[in-house]
Amino acid sequence: MFVARHIPADHKDLIHDVSFDFHGRRMATCSSDQSVKVWDKSESGDWHCTASWKTHSGSVWRVTWAHPEFGQVLASCSFDRTAAVWEEIVGESNDKLRGQSHWVKRTTLVDSRTSVTDVKFAPKHMGLMLATCSADGIVRIYEAPDVMNLSQWSLQHEISCKLSCSCISWNPSSSRAHSPMIAVGSDDSSPNAMAKVQIFEYNENTRKYAKAETLMTVTDPVHDIAFAPNLGRSFHILAIATKDVRIFTLKPVRKELTSSGGPTKFEIHIVAQFDNHNSQVWRVSWNITGTVLASSGDDGCVRLWKANYMDNWKCTGILKGNGSPVNGNSQQGNSNPSLGSNIPNLQNSLNGSSSGRKHS
Amino acid sequence: MSGTKPDILWAPHQVDRFVVCDSELSLYHVESTVNSELKAGSLRLSEDSAATLLSINSDTPYMKCVAWYLNYDPECLLAVGQANGRVVLTSLGQDHNSKFKDLIGKEFVPKHARQCNTLAWNPLDSNWLAAGLDKHRADFSVLIWDICSKYTPDIVPMEKVRLSAGETETTLLVTKPLYELGQNDACLSLCWLPRDQKLLLAGMHRNLAIFDLRNTSQKMFVNTKAVQGVTVDPYFHDRVASFYEGQVAIWDLRKFEKPVLTLTEQPKPLTKVAWCPTRTGLLATLTRDSNIIRLYDMQHTPTPIGDETEPTIIERSVQPCDNYIASFAWHPTSQNRMIVVTPNRTMSDFTVFERISLAWSPITSLMWACGRHLYECAEEENDNSLEKDIATKMRLRALSRYGLDTEQVWRNHILAGNEDPQLKSLWYTLHFMKQYTEDMDQKSPGNKGSLVYAGIKSIVKSSLGTVESSRHNWSSLDKQSDIQNLNEERILALQLCGWIKKGTDVDVGPFLNSLVQEGEWERAAAVALFNLDIRRAIQILNEGASSEKGDLNLNVVAMALSGYTDEKNSLWREMCSTLRLQLNNPYLCVMFAFLTSETGSYDGVLYENKVAVRDRVAFACKFLSDSQLNRYIEKLTNEMKEAGNLEGILLTGLTKDGVDLMESYVDRTGDVQTASYCMLQGSPLDVLKDERVQYWIENYRNLLDAWRFWHKRAEFDIHRSKLDPSSKPLAQVFVSCNFCGKSISYSCSTVPHQGRGFSQYGVSGSPTKSKVTSCPGCRKPLPRCALCLINMGTPVSSCPGGSKSDEKVDLSKDKKLAQFNNWFTWCHNCRHGGHAGHMLSWFRDHAECPVSACTCKCMQLDTTGNLVPAETVQP
Repeated sequence: MFVARHIPADHKDLIHDVSFDFHGRRMATCSSDQSVKVWDKSESGDWHCTASWKTHSGSVWRVTWAHPEFGQVLASCSFDRTAAVWEEIVGESNDKLRGQSHWVKRTTLVDSRTSVTDVKFAPKHMGLMLATCSADGIVRIYEAPDVMNLSQWSLQHEISCKLSCSCISWNPSSSRAHSPMIAVGSDDSSPNAMAKVQIFEYNENTRKYAKAETLMTVTDPVHDIAFAPNLGRSFHILAIATKDVRIFTLKPVRKELTSSGGPTKFEIHIVAQFDNHNSQVWRVSWNITGTVLASSGDDGCVRLWKANYMDNWKCTGILKGNGSPVNGNSQQGNSNPSLGSNIPNLQNSLNGSSSGRKHS
Repeated sequence: MSGTKPDILWAPHQVDRFVVCDSELSLYHVESTVNSELKAGSLRLSEDSAATLLSINSDTPYMKCVAWYLNYDPECLLAVGQANGRVVLTSLGQDHNSKFKDLIGKEFVPKHARQCNTLAWNPLDSNWLAAGLDKHRADFSVLIWDICSKYTPDIVPMEKVRLSAGETETTLLVTKPLYELGQNDACLSLCWLPRDQKLLLAGMHRNLAIFDLRNTSQKMFVNTKAVQGVTVDPYFHDRVASFYEGQVAIWDLRKFEKPVLTLTEQPKPLTKVAWCPTRTGLLATLTRDSNIIRLYDMQHTPTPIGDETEPTIIERSVQPCDNYIASFAWHPTSQNRMIVVTPNRTMSDFTVFERISLAWSPITSLMWACGRHLYECAEEENDNSLEKDIATKMRLRALSRYGLDTEQVWRNHILAGNEDPQLKSLWYTLHFMKQYTEDMDQKSPGNKGSLVYAGIKSIVKSSLGTVESSRHNWSSLDKQSDIQNLNEERILALQLCGWIKKGTDVDVGPFLNSLVQEGEWERAAAVALFNLDIRRAIQILNEGASSEKGDLNLNVVAMALSGYTDEKNSLWREMCSTLRLQLNNPYLCVMFAFLTSETGSYDGVLYENKVAVRDRVAFACKFLSDSQLNRYIEKLTNEMKEAGNLEGILLTGLTKDGVDLMESYVDRTGDVQTASYCMLQGSPLDVLKDERVQYWIENYRNLLDAWRFWHKRAEFDIHRSKLDPSSKPLAQVFVSCNFCGKSISYSCSTVPHQGRGFSQYGVSGSPTKSKVTSCPGCRKPLPRCALCLINMGTPVSSCPGGSKSDEKVDLSKDKKLAQFNNWFTWCHNCRHGGHAGHMLSWFRDHAECPVSACTCKCMQLDTTGNLVPAETVQP
């Protein structure tokens, strides 16, 4: 059973992204009010905002944490065409006494000429690397060669995607059998039916990222994309938020069979496709083991998806965006796994939530 | 509003009221039904709101447009624009006796009769009402009336009187407008500009015009077709939307030459466009014959000032009901709330949600942001375990030390929660493997031991062609069956299956007894039968039937069993072979399959998937010839590998085959914890070095780190290094002498044990006690502790002035902590340090280094240092 609890966020405008650090003890939020807030979890489990500062001169779209091995480091990206890297420092002032921490900007990445729509740190084993994507259709990969000096980032790769990019996701697999890989989604809404998800893979020989796959079946605007954490699976799972929730598996065809040096070939299968949100799906997020997917859609609901032992994906929970239970009975949504497939009609899920919204 | 198509309006101030207007005006009251039942006569608007009809007003026929008076008082005053161009003030009967009584029924009459298209109250000068009319020759089409005007015309023109036939109170007629604008034109839409109360934006016939009432001779205009439904963004007073056919144009009044933006064209003509009053930049649009409200979230629109930026508009759609929507209205104050009405006057109240962004924390709580609000949602601990995700299961299992019981290996499945039959089978298999490896090693140190962990498949292979079958007598029956002579390998296989115990004795008795004790009657009976002891089988069934938990039907089965006859064409055989398929219990089913089978063909037993693999394999070892057995095991192994069934580890052992099997198990479940612990149970090094195994282990360690289970991670590392010494990390820190640079670690190892832990380590160090305060290489003294100023290497005294109770807790909690108090610690930044115990107690109260004049904030430098291990927090 899931129980939702409201946390006063105190952002002055829409919150665009929420991100947890490696341990789940810290959280960062970013908003149209151009600020980023950092939250720390107390022993009692309450969240306290320990830093809030103006980061950009436009809406901040995304915020993300680096692995704690590199220190307490955040990256943010914004409509103001930049991405920035922030580090928490032990201030000379007595900030700590007031329960506040101090964050300084280490670098501003200004290569994009349009809004930077997503920013993600690469998996830890690749070192301190950062990928951004922008509305002009270019994915940029930066590296900090010296992890002790966060003010120096060199632009290592520029990948042109030809389409306005909305989201990126690194393949988190650290297996040596898997090359670094990044998936890019586009929210280009022009009527041409171009594939909106491209996957790029790093080639050790050419030292460049080359297109490995294009998901031809995804032709509607993609709002979010997420590789599932891979704790030891032999294949990759990719979730896509478009007009519905889609889950793909990418099974690498064994290297011996393919010619060495070329990009890895994948067997791609769509294992799930859910239109239960009945409208655009905005975000998808995997849990730590990559076994439960959460999605949010225009119906104002958060849905949880999980595969059973037969690899059939099902809805295992529905939550209202304002934390109120669906149909006044959230337990039902959880204990009855088949509920997901015959969701109450749209009217139910859209209606009746107004009384729950206390703030206006 | 053409009689059939209703429009809907929220009251501007009494936010629980709205009006639906088609041929008449109906005032409704909205109530929340969250805590109460639906009242009789009220209409359900949504899951938790309902509307009650308060009053109906049908005084004003031929309504074309309605506008609600913007002031607080009177509450229910509406202006109605009629088909003949008259504007009538009407009320919904709430306060007839107020001082505004004389307003009600007032009519504002244009010179020439034509349709009134639009009405707009001035937001500041609340008595001003603008009306937009159709064209009539060279007449004005925009009239601004002052509703309080006491002015009644001296002479009512004859024409007007005729038009208002039936109207008796001519004294309420007003014919002289305050302003007349838009000569020789038509007006389709109007809105007052909040920038200045004297500015009126009008959608005229072929242009948008801004009239300035301070100078009515001038107007600013731009030629465009998009003249319908002009509306100002309440949050951004220079931004205006208007539409034409299926296209919405967004204008910036500071750069009025052309639209700054046009939205994607809709296939059907638009009927309404409205900015959300409670949220910036949200525009709702409705097209004809559609059940969808399309929303445009304008995060950024181009502005004439500043640089050219591309617009950021997110298009969304909501479908509040299944019918076509006639009209909609934003709630004036409730965030993103809207009410819609369909042509047949069904209404629906709903809220447009903001885009939700979400994130999972590593400890399975979900955080999401909706609008400006954050919500956290955690999985409740008391959840039914079957429903739990593997992430939660692994976390709980890690806490219960799952996988770490290396003595009673089978107990690990209990630590795992005793809920998964596959895990039970796996840990029993591993338990037997460990047991017989030790057994083998004792008997003949050398080769055989490794064979046990290689699984039954390899064991059977190694004995290929050495077994002959012989006829065995059934006990208490004059029947004989072919049973394989059991060689050493087959005995080992049976032992691994758990049928027989250690030693050369091939008696299944103890196994049967243990099964009976656990209440597995059917299984026990089947095993007894497979060992050709039908009497025992019947006895077990009887026992089962008479026991408390047992099933009375077992008696019936026993009865059927006792009727066994060996004759080929007997009725018994015929009935049993058909009726057995209806038995629910797989073990009962295979018993009859066995008895009715032709000699030498046991497929009914071997391929009954519901029977545990270990029983089927044991059965095969007893009855199949070498080649058959080999083929069967091979086939079963592949099946298990394919399915990722952990029971198959019995066959594959911890070999490459086992890794393949485990891989498909991990693919299926994501359970790297079981995979890691299983492979660390006794795999040979080459298997352990398999990339996949290393990957599981690394990921499991990573998982423990993410959960802050550092102690568990350390235990896991120790467990791992037992089997794989190469994984043991090298010493990470050496303490070297300041003077000679030599490591002092040799003597240092004795230093921490000077206290009570001393004797148990067997270090006879008491004579050297005083010497350890100096370097063993050069005899120079070791540095002093910054707090007690005594040379390092001396035992720590309890901290003076420090919180004594804390110290006591530390000591009583674990004696090892006391030894840790003696350790060397230092700050990597300022190089100051001292006894660990002293340092810890110092930084409990201080932020800065204890050395005077050093401002280094040693403890805060390492932010992860503030993270406490989660295990201590966990129950």
